[in-house]
Amino acid sequence: MPAGCGSSGAPSRHELIDSRDNYDPKSLDPAVSTDVPTGRAVAYLFDGLTQFTADGKVQPALAERWDVSPDGLQYTFHLRRGVTFHDGSPVTAHTVAASWERALAPETKSGAASFLFPIKGAKEYNGGTAKSVAGLAVRDDSTLVVTLSEPLAIFATMLAMPVAAVVPEKTGTDFGQHPIGTGPWKLVEWKHDDYLLFARNPNYFGGAPKTDTLRARIIAEPSTAVAEYESGNVDILEIPAAEAGDWVEDESKKPQLMSIAALELVYIGINTTRGPLADPRVRQAINYAIDVDRIIERLVGGRGTRAAGVIPPSLGGYDKSRKPYPYDPQKAKALLAAAGHPNGIDVELWTNMVPTYQRIAETVQAYLNAVGIRTKIVLRESAAARAAARKGDADMILKDWYADYPDAEDFLYPLLHSANRGAGGNVSFFANARFDSVVTASRRELDQNKRNALYTQADSIAFAEAPMVFLYFYDELYAVQPWIKHFQPPVIFNGQRWLDVTIDHGTGTKK
Amino acid sequence: MSRFILRRLLLSIPTLFGVLVVAFLLLYVAPGDPVESMIGERADSATIARLRAQLRLDDPLPVRFGHYVGSVLTGDLGRSYITNRPITQDIRERFPKTLQLAGAAMLLATVLGLTLGVLSARKPGGFADRFALGVAYLGISFPVYWVGLLLILLFAVTFRWLPPSGYGSLRFLTLPALTLGMRSIAFLARMTRSAMLESLSADYVRTARAKGLSERVVTLKHALRNALIPVITVLGLDFGAYLTGSILTETIFSWPGIGRYVVNAISRRDLPAIQGTVLFLSTVFVLVNLITDLAYAKADPRVSYD
Repeated sequence: MPAGCGSSGAPSRHELIDSRDNYDPKSLDPAVSTDVPTGRAVAYLFDGLTQFTADGKVQPALAERWDVSPDGLQYTFHLRRGVTFHDGSPVTAHTVAASWERALAPETKSGAASFLFPIKGAKEYNGGTAKSVAGLAVRDDSTLVVTLSEPLAIFATMLAMPVAAVVPEKTGTDFGQHPIGTGPWKLVEWKHDDYLLFARNPNYFGGAPKTDTLRARIIAEPSTAVAEYESGNVDILEIPAAEAGDWVEDESKKPQLMSIAALELVYIGINTTRGPLADPRVRQAINYAIDVDRIIERLVGGRGTRAAGVIPPSLGGYDKSRKPYPYDPQKAKALLAAAGHPNGIDVELWTNMVPTYQRIAETVQAYLNAVGIRTKIVLRESAAARAAARKGDADMILKDWYADYPDAEDFLYPLLHSANRGAGGNVSFFANARFDSVVTASRRELDQNKRNALYTQADSIAFAEAPMVFLYFYDELYAVQPWIKHFQPPVIFNGQRWLDVTIDHGTGTKK
Repeated sequence: MSRFILRRLLLSIPTLFGVLVVAFLLLYVAPGDPVESMIGERADSATIARLRAQLRLDDPLPVRFGHYVGSVLTGDLGRSYITNRPITQDIRERFPKTLQLAGAAMLLATVLGLTLGVLSARKPGGFADRFALGVAYLGISFPVYWVGLLLILLFAVTFRWLPPSGYGSLRFLTLPALTLGMRSIAFLARMTRSAMLESLSADYVRTARAKGLSERVVTLKHALRNALIPVITVLGLDFGAYLTGSILTETIFSWPGIGRYVVNAISRRDLPAIQGTVLFLSTVFVLVNLITDLAYAKADPRVSYD
């Protein structure tokens, strides 16, 4: 609400209205979910064996508990009994296995199937060379035994991802339009590019939501979402980065603001195979040449935590003693000279059309030019920029990385492990044997503390080798109407199910 | 007349085919492909290769084009690569909303534009004329984006008379229609003014006045009717343009029309969706032009297609 309008009371509706989606979900079929609006909605409708809480913890969902064999290869999941889909049909171990087989089946054309590849035989089944998934065995109605092809400590965490959600055994061609899940909300209607309307599932095993309906409005233009919020028509607003500064400075709005350190890294991938960029000294020089603190302050409204590695501060493995590269143009020049480029180098910096990123790119360009790294900006749509970076055609690319699941592995492994060069997410084409071996070991390590120590070690190798410019972790800023109670902003897109959120009809005037 | 219509319709077939070819080639040379949108940030090269093969993206160009034209001829625009929804269903859902918005914008433009134009032509240099000139300047020079946000701020946030965005009844339609129609209002006002000034000084108007007809009849019946030809041209062109999707207006007001649909499809390189809508919208454009031409004959008896 604008200043002075605190008197406009709480709405009489019994409906939560969310304004965060800025484009229509692709589908409500969890198997093909790879984007945020889809993933959010899928989390309302479906459950996996595990799920994320708003603050990024992993908790049991359809699985009540699970045992891991000492070698880390076999997971035995004991399912919660008596859970039914919205249509009343029961969830059994067989349903779970069938759901994953469906996600993996070639005809599902899932772009996220590779997240299930740790299961033995999944890759073969997905590639069409096996008739079933060897690693899935149904012991009885409520016990599923999963064998992995190699130990993976975070397997249970990955099962909270949309692609591993459990769906009924019979799904038609239009399942993505008419989804049936076990989740806290049922789909009532989906008006494309307009809104999704959900009604509470009174039988939800985790306790039914406290509000009758939930509407996810699709508002393409951020300024329009702000206007809807100020008119009291929506309850939750994600404040656009460019406007965050104004909101924070407005005293009357302060009580409505909530800040959350999202699991989102903004960075510049440096392709370590291209020309002078192959030399770590050049990559370090680039890090020294840029005043990141100033960028955060001026271009992101101060809403970023400076990165000194790829692990966000809220995740295990983060090392708070590691200091980021300081802004030191002299040192940058010296490193360039030492690397044999006293007259500087020429590079291309790619980025997408996101306004904030365009401004950051221009600023980075100025900083780099100042130390003799002559930078040309290449602006493309995000899909095109990403495709070029994946192919290795971009010297440097400014982009972000949202966590798929709240674990440091989701930053270290996809972004920098040599197995993921190109398509897997490693657009730096970073291949460092020592880093690889530490990360590989961490993936197999079942002991949480030892795993965190390995994460820290891997992160510090990456930091020294500088396969990227470590920019910042974005702090999302939410505005929440005063009549909304018990809302907790999620650190991860699918960590929110609106179970406890209520509309307080009595205290709309409360500031 | 019907022979004329038939000939025009037949002529539109090569036009539409040309549009298909150009759209297809443009998408072919544009960087990026639909698989990018299917996989998200993290994938593996085997998945990418398999999806490309499944979507037949690696087939030779003529094969892909032939395949597409073949299915279009059977009336099947296919299913979206990204959403797996039938394209025809998507178009059926969104086009009526675009039509609604375009219709409302044209209605506003016709009523306000013609009125302003006629009023300013009656007394050039008078208050009405200067006011209309001001409106026209603003309408033509202010970008849609800015006008839209300003209207939202004023009527929705400050006065709270209308909802800021969304699809629905007349209350929801007003602001986007005004935003979209702004340019047409301005343009029509100026066009009508100059056409009216021209016909008001014509001999037949002098004759009409000499016969003792009232100024009202002279202006509206004799002068305006003859001034309508250029006005119809502008209306027809603008209506055609609005029907093919007013991307900015639909985006600002979250209007779920075909403009946003096309933009989404393009950014995801959703080939069937892009080609289906391009084909559909080109057909609409051709039809609107035909109707405009027929309207000339209605407005001006000298125009005949027989």
